[in-house]
Amino acid sequence: MTAPLLEVTDLRTWFATARGEIKAVDGVSFTINPGEVLGLVGESGSGKSITGFSIIGLIDEPGRIVEGSIKLEGRELTGLSASELRQIRGKTVSMVFQDPMMTLNPVLSIETQIRLALEAHEKIGADEARRRAIAALAQVRIPDPEIKVDYYPHQFSGGMRQRVAIAIALLHRPKLIICDEPTTALDVSVQAEILSEMKELVAELGTALIWISHDLAVVASLADRVAVMRYGQIVETGAALDVLTHPRHDYTKGLLDALPSRAKPGEMLARGADADAVPPPREAATHEVPPLGSPYLVIEDAVKIYQKPAGLIQSLAVRAGWAAPEPIVRAVDGVSLTLHRGEVLGLVGESGSGKSTLGRMAAGIYAPTAGTVRLNGKAVMSGGRSPVKITTRVQTIFQDPFASLNGRMRIGDIIAEGPIAHRLITRRDAPDYVGRWLAAVGLDPALSNRFPHQFSGGQRQRIAIARALAMQPDVVVCDEPVASLDVSIQAQIINLLIKLRRELDLSLIFISHDLSVVRHLCDRVAIMYRGRIVEEGGAAEIYDNPQHDYTKRLLEAVPVLPEAAE
Amino acid sequence: MLVFVLQRLWQAIVVILAMSVLVFCGVYAVGNPIDVLISPDATQDIRAAVIAQYGLDLPLWQQYLGFLGRLIQGDFGHSFVYNMPVSDLILSRLPATLELTLTAVMFASLVGIPIGIYAGYRPHSPVSRAIMAVSILGFSVPTFWFGLMLIMLFAVQCGCMPAGGRGETLDLFGVPFSFLTLDGMQHLLLPALNLALFKFSLMIRLARAGTREVMLSDTVKFARAAGLSEFTVLSRHVLRLISIPLVTVFGLELGSTLAFAVVTETIFSWPGLGKLIIDSITSLDRPVMVAYLMLVALLFIVINLVVDLAYALLDPRLRKGRA
Repeated sequence: MTAPLLEVTDLRTWFATARGEIKAVDGVSFTINPGEVLGLVGESGSGKSITGFSIIGLIDEPGRIVEGSIKLEGRELTGLSASELRQIRGKTVSMVFQDPMMTLNPVLSIETQIRLALEAHEKIGADEARRRAIAALAQVRIPDPEIKVDYYPHQFSGGMRQRVAIAIALLHRPKLIICDEPTTALDVSVQAEILSEMKELVAELGTALIWISHDLAVVASLADRVAVMRYGQIVETGAALDVLTHPRHDYTKGLLDALPSRAKPGEMLARGADADAVPPPREAATHEVPPLGSPYLVIEDAVKIYQKPAGLIQSLAVRAGWAAPEPIVRAVDGVSLTLHRGEVLGLVGESGSGKSTLGRMAAGIYAPTAGTVRLNGKAVMSGGRSPVKITTRVQTIFQDPFASLNGRMRIGDIIAEGPIAHRLITRRDAPDYVGRWLAAVGLDPALSNRFPHQFSGGQRQRIAIARALAMQPDVVVCDEPVASLDVSIQAQIINLLIKLRRELDLSLIFISHDLSVVRHLCDRVAIMYRGRIVEEGGAAEIYDNPQHDYTKRLLEAVPVLPEAAE
Repeated sequence: MLVFVLQRLWQAIVVILAMSVLVFCGVYAVGNPIDVLISPDATQDIRAAVIAQYGLDLPLWQQYLGFLGRLIQGDFGHSFVYNMPVSDLILSRLPATLELTLTAVMFASLVGIPIGIYAGYRPHSPVSRAIMAVSILGFSVPTFWFGLMLIMLFAVQCGCMPAGGRGETLDLFGVPFSFLTLDGMQHLLLPALNLALFKFSLMIRLARAGTREVMLSDTVKFARAAGLSEFTVLSRHVLRLISIPLVTVFGLELGSTLAFAVVTETIFSWPGLGKLIIDSITSLDRPVMVAYLMLVALLFIVINLVVDLAYALLDPRLRKGRA
């Protein structure tokens, strides 16, 4: 038995606020041996990130470590001075963050950023620094490191930026790297690459890892041991396989049950399946609507091209050959898709595949450059130079409930605004109408005079759903509605969508990058890649028997949980 | 990049043309210079002769075309009052103003930005609170009052500083400058300080706001996690990240200070452009007014172009034509 690399005992990190102490981390103890990978799992607010920041000594005001000890190779870290902590940071312990778009400095070249990190702990000449920078990039498998070292962050994709961040974290051969959700912001296939590379690097260098994540499957694929956190405490810890196949704590069980990949498709997920009120009747609905199962929303040869208009000088310069023309982006490149009434169609693809653009054309937010979008035979948008949406029968639920609700409006007004404008209800009926919709999405009708910031992410997404449905649509375009939510909240929202769809005979276009959620919710699936649909069919067929190479790659990249050997 | 510069040049030409029309017509709307130029008891014949001499009897558009033609040849006309070419007149005054405003703006930036970054870095320390109090004062105290107080305190009460004028000057490339002699520097100090106060406060507040925001970003956290010292984080990361708004304001302030340093120049009787333009407005010296306004327009265009190019230098995302 070797001495542990890191020993955390009874760590308490509290934040003093006007409303008393917030105990973000409240008595956490664990150890890590050299070369070991510990998965730290929990939902947002569980204190897992704060635990990581406590170890590396980067707790922002007003937070502080109240008590407990952090021993790195036998040396106590709590109570060290700022400069002593700095000596350790980056050298013995380093950290990788969640969003590679935010961590690298956009105005400094990669070489400069690596050189600064090198100079933090050693004296080094410019040539030597450049050589080391190139070697560091090569180590994380960035192609052409001699050229890429002069690049700026914006010239890299998200996955490449995260590789650069990992390269910086590895510079001084640290004994421990704390990774705070490093693959959460990345596409599935990129995540798979980074995960396998991380595994190899860790094995090669003997570095210990703390892998902080909300995604149990990702942790399962990497970690030797897992610690599950909730409310600032570790509720369960043990060997990764053990914890994930035979969870002992109720919370861990609940987390696992909330995963759509572990439930039968179409069924309510465990956790949060509370009985909500019945939605209000639909006045404007049901006239001249075709029967369930017949083609309803029909997209034909839709194309969306983005190009910046060129000015006079620009066009002249292009013609003279002095400048390159503005690039043309074909976001959606000739897509035909039919949504049948009452079905849920999953639209799957990685970032940049054009799935959101297609969804917005279907919802009448963007006008297609060419092609048509028709609902029940009628165009969704008017023609002409500046087309506008002319139907209320398609509505949208957006990804980010923090950005999609106007923070200056009361939620009751947010929900009532559309229906009043389109005369679905009168202003006098609005409070009652709003109350019934709030009840239908599982919120207390008495909260209608509150503002969005007074709600959590999951509650905001419920408000967004109520807002979309209060327009009494037949078709709802859901653009990654659960992507920014915790697993258990995600389960609640998915349950809510399943329930409402049944009660209201809704047809849904469900856009997502999460294949397990799509599998759970959708009847049919269309896979998008570079603006085209490469494969389309029943959900079960595509998942069990993918035909297109891209679909196969996508499905293989999804990290899976170990199955209990029962 | 080439396209960008060409586009800006094209825009600049349009703006200059529009400005020349506005200035020309605007100045024509104010008073009649003939009344100032000749004595009221001159005969009708003399009056007509003078009007013809200055071309004031031609239709407005002909006068404008003539003016534009002379402008392109670099001829701004003759000052009615000083009876010398306007270009010579302005050139003789420009170095004084240039010297004063550059000193003021540089001082405001070089001192204000580091102080502002410190105030943003330690927002709750007593020193930072004091800095912010001073900057509010700098915003609210009127320039003329502050200038008078400076003269009262340093020139009248303690007598250690001169109250006005440029002092001893030394020629550099044939142009007289004050900052080359000790006496000149003493004369420069108070007006520069007076002119800098507002910009100084502005820079502090901008740098502080930017720093407070950037300090919370993942970029700074990541830099700290890599073990960078706080000084390196501030000087290499934060300063670069907050530089765009600073450069914007620097450019705007440089332009407006150059153009409108009037109050300070008047108080400290600094023989710069500001005093010249006030004098020409009171005496309805049209050619000087026109030339001055055109110069100001040109100045703003050049400064804005430089600022835009500086953006591209500071932020690689704004550079075009690279992969």
